[in-house]
Amino acid sequence: MFVSPIREPLITGNKDYHQITEDIARPTEGRPQIGWIIGMGIAQVALLLGVFMMLWTIWYGIGTWNLNRTVGWGWDITNFVWWIGIGHAGTLISAILLLFRQKWRTGVNRAAEAMTIFAVLCAALYPGIHMGRLWVPFYIFPYPNTRAVWPNFDSPLLWDVFAISTYFTVSLLFWYIGLIPDLATLRDRAKSTLRKNIYKALSFGWRGSAKQWQRFESISLVLAGLATPLVLSVHTIVSFDFATSVIPGWHTTIFPPYFVAGAIFSGFAMVLTLMIITRKILHLEDYITIGHIESMNKVIILTGSIVGIAYTTELFVAWYSGNIYEQYAFLNRAMGPYAWAYWIMMTCNVFSPQLMWIKKLRRNLVATFILSIIINIGMWFERFVIIVTSLHRDFLPSSWTYYVPTFVEVGIFIGTLGIFFTLFLLFARTFPVIAIAEVKSIWRTSSNQAIEKFQQQEEAEAAAEKETATV
Amino acid sequence: MATKKYLLGIFDDEITLMKAVKGVRAAGTKIYDVYTPFPVHGLDDAMGLRHTRLHTAGFLFGATGVLLMFLYITWINTVNYPIIVGGKPYFALPAYIPVLFEITVLSASVGMVIAYFVRNGLSPIRQEPPLDSRATDHKFVVAFDAEELSGEMDNVKELLAEHGASEINEKEID
Amino acid sequence: MNMSEHFQFTSGQKRNAFILMGIGALTLVIGIIMALSGNHTMQEKIWTGILTNNMFFLGLSLAGLFFIAVNYIGYGGWYVTVKRIPEAMSMFIPYMGVGMLVILIGLWAHWHHIYHWAAEGIADPNSPNYDRLIAGKVSYLNKPFFTIRIIAYFAIWTFFAYSLRRLSIQEDQLGGVSQYNKSKVLAAVFLIFFGITSSSMSWDFVMSIDSHWYSTLFGWYTFSTLFVSGIAAIILFTIFLKSKGYLPQVNQEHLHDLGKFMFAFSVFWAYLWFSQFMLIWYANIGEATAYFKARLDHYPFLFYMILVINFVVPFFALMTRNSKRQMGTLATIAVIVLIGHWFDYFLMIIPGATGNEASFGIFEIGLTIGYAGLFLFVVLKELTKTSLVAAKHPFFKESLEHHT
Repeated sequence: MFVSPIREPLITGNKDYHQITEDIARPTEGRPQIGWIIGMGIAQVALLLGVFMMLWTIWYGIGTWNLNRTVGWGWDITNFVWWIGIGHAGTLISAILLLFRQKWRTGVNRAAEAMTIFAVLCAALYPGIHMGRLWVPFYIFPYPNTRAVWPNFDSPLLWDVFAISTYFTVSLLFWYIGLIPDLATLRDRAKSTLRKNIYKALSFGWRGSAKQWQRFESISLVLAGLATPLVLSVHTIVSFDFATSVIPGWHTTIFPPYFVAGAIFSGFAMVLTLMIITRKILHLEDYITIGHIESMNKVIILTGSIVGIAYTTELFVAWYSGNIYEQYAFLNRAMGPYAWAYWIMMTCNVFSPQLMWIKKLRRNLVATFILSIIINIGMWFERFVIIVTSLHRDFLPSSWTYYVPTFVEVGIFIGTLGIFFTLFLLFARTFPVIAIAEVKSIWRTSSNQAIEKFQQQEEAEAAAEKETATV
Repeated sequence: MATKKYLLGIFDDEITLMKAVKGVRAAGTKIYDVYTPFPVHGLDDAMGLRHTRLHTAGFLFGATGVLLMFLYITWINTVNYPIIVGGKPYFALPAYIPVLFEITVLSASVGMVIAYFVRNGLSPIRQEPPLDSRATDHKFVVAFDAEELSGEMDNVKELLAEHGASEINEKEID
Repeated sequence: MNMSEHFQFTSGQKRNAFILMGIGALTLVIGIIMALSGNHTMQEKIWTGILTNNMFFLGLSLAGLFFIAVNYIGYGGWYVTVKRIPEAMSMFIPYMGVGMLVILIGLWAHWHHIYHWAAEGIADPNSPNYDRLIAGKVSYLNKPFFTIRIIAYFAIWTFFAYSLRRLSIQEDQLGGVSQYNKSKVLAAVFLIFFGITSSSMSWDFVMSIDSHWYSTLFGWYTFSTLFVSGIAAIILFTIFLKSKGYLPQVNQEHLHDLGKFMFAFSVFWAYLWFSQFMLIWYANIGEATAYFKARLDHYPFLFYMILVINFVVPFFALMTRNSKRQMGTLATIAVIVLIGHWFDYFLMIIPGATGNEASFGIFEIGLTIGYAGLFLFVVLKELTKTSLVAAKHPFFKESLEHHT
């Protein structure tokens, strides 16, 4: 197969198959580094804080979140949507980039998919703790029961239940199926019996036979084909939580694709944050190259611009509609009591990603890292602005209010960050953070040796053509 | 369990492997299996493997799941406990679409994954050991059933060596 | 393999295109005669027919340009063997500029009343035509600004279409990567303009017809319509050329990918259709539901037919791998998709422009045939101007060896 040599190599450093195994498997073997231990420590502190705050909430009630009329949803739903959005990058990288045959996905898909699962877990915590009775969560599922009640199929909140359960399940299955061959690699390298037995069980007896790989490719393709509309549907259904209402600023038809674009935007930003750190600490720069970083930054420009166009569209149509409530909602966002949040959102989401048009910045690690954090802050504010500004001043001015979070909510949010990083650090120690088998499968066409070979091939052909032309 | 004997041809890259597989098949020898560290494009065709029908299974699982769920929701909302919600009719099809879509994806995925594990013989407990543990690292292994080869063993060894095998081993598994 | 192969537009093919255009012209002339003799229905049919076909064929041309631009910035290599087709399609944009000019002239001369906001005195409280809601947006919806916008759209789009085309032709002659690099930049800038103008043009041409209605999704919804139609058109042109013995380098792999695009974007279109419909249905707010009520009450058959043709049929027909590798299946579904999306535009336009008694008949068929004839003529003529194969494109070799 031919790959044009104007493409950048996706694997650098003159690797061979064995070296690829070595480089990626090594971080899971041996002792944890000091950096990992410190990171784990901080994450644990945050996690414990969160657990404590969640118990506090369950004990004392949702009043500890300062939620009341008319702001019934505050930091809780903001964080819920923020986490789900972040999760979208993983599935997008695995599924959609697979369907578009973008080979660069192989450097980052494993970690991104893991990030999805952890992010969805953090998100799912919120409906869990704010639905009222955390100890009977199964009530939300439609099984025949003696209470003579069914869940409300007409409600987007129930659609959420199905969407997030499905998303979590399918992402987990997709991620794990891809992991199995790599876990078999770890199994076959394991020195101690305990380690070997653990990976034996985890790798499900994978042998790498041709028939197994054939089914593996088939299921990967079909799951990718299913996961793509799934990714679109999940954040769409989350957007339905708002768009099906009649609240100005919430009831707008653009929400589904706009939320999806925003989710991809924030998800890729989080992947960049994690990957820039991971590649440095685990010495994986040859597999997560600057080219990978640049490609992800291009997705950021694209989705950031889509988000920007969506903002502009909403503003224009609010004016165009002639609906005085809709018009006020947007005026209030830009100039009302929460204007500070609105302008943080605009700066972070609309103006800053446009910096990535500059190639030098796209390929700069520090700039990318800072921008990725800014984007996630901006996307947090986007959800906050949508939720709180529309709720705190809707139709009846006598009900207008101003919402501030409590230490309980902030603590829970920090707790979810703790849970996320705990899981991610555990993942980095026990599973290969890059898809070993997939990277090997692109070596033949996309390693630096391969690109050099194609370059020589093209030059030879060009020279031969010149010869026959002059003859 | 009786011991099984295998003849293994070890190769260092997938291109040599593909040529060898084609050559061996052309000579009419039956390959037991081929083990590779990553999926090799075209290998299943070269080995004459039948295409998998996993995607068909997926479609059937999805179709079944969505049909059942559709009937269930309709029964719940129109027969068992009809409630007027938001002024909508009892049978509010647009509202069911998101749930039905998710169930389609869920049933298709879960069904296919179970089928995948069953068909690939993947289990955390009942496992056959790999014939050469380097097949998950950097070696490409062509395996023959030694009993089926019987007298042909030396011919096959020659064939493998001709096609660039870096090692030719015999292996016994209990 | 002949790298400098040119398409020969045979006189027989030209004659066929002229016959199609002739049918359209004849239909139009008969319609105009009927309208001038006082047939009001026919008068409305003429103008809405022109607008519908303008939108549909403009959509196809823009889709060609968009497809090329998106592949430049996405480093897509597989499509290069069919690149000349969307390029040729994009050359039709200025022709639809003329089509929209006709609508503009009709607007200023009050020959049609498609756009209620253009009525005299719409913003004057003392006028019997006064409409408070429209008066609120008359700073955007007024004839001069509308005209300026339309001129700007076509100027911008034509500029980018011609620039990318010119670079592509230069690349054929000079080789190297210089044109490729310039094209990448042009493509990126075009996409910024396209992101804005594709939405605003649909607000201008179509959404403003239902002057009391609005939907923030409308711009992206019409984009999905135009894009999937464009893919269907690319497929049909590819299959046509192959059936005449051209493009031997285009094989099942390329068709498979085009088929995947048609499948995926049919699903995407359905997703946007559903989002728009369901959200308006769910909140049940009168000023938004009026749009769908008008269509469901008076054109229910068309309403559901559009959903079936544009989603159900392509979804089931193109699901299997094999279906996307057979030219017969792809061509059939492409034709169905094109017809389905033509009706998509039709149903967007006629209820607001003509009221509840509009019909689809011989006039619409004739006029559309005429437009199709013109489109085919212009695109095929463009295809003769360069080699059919963009052999000097840096990704050409990749495209040749493309394997799905």
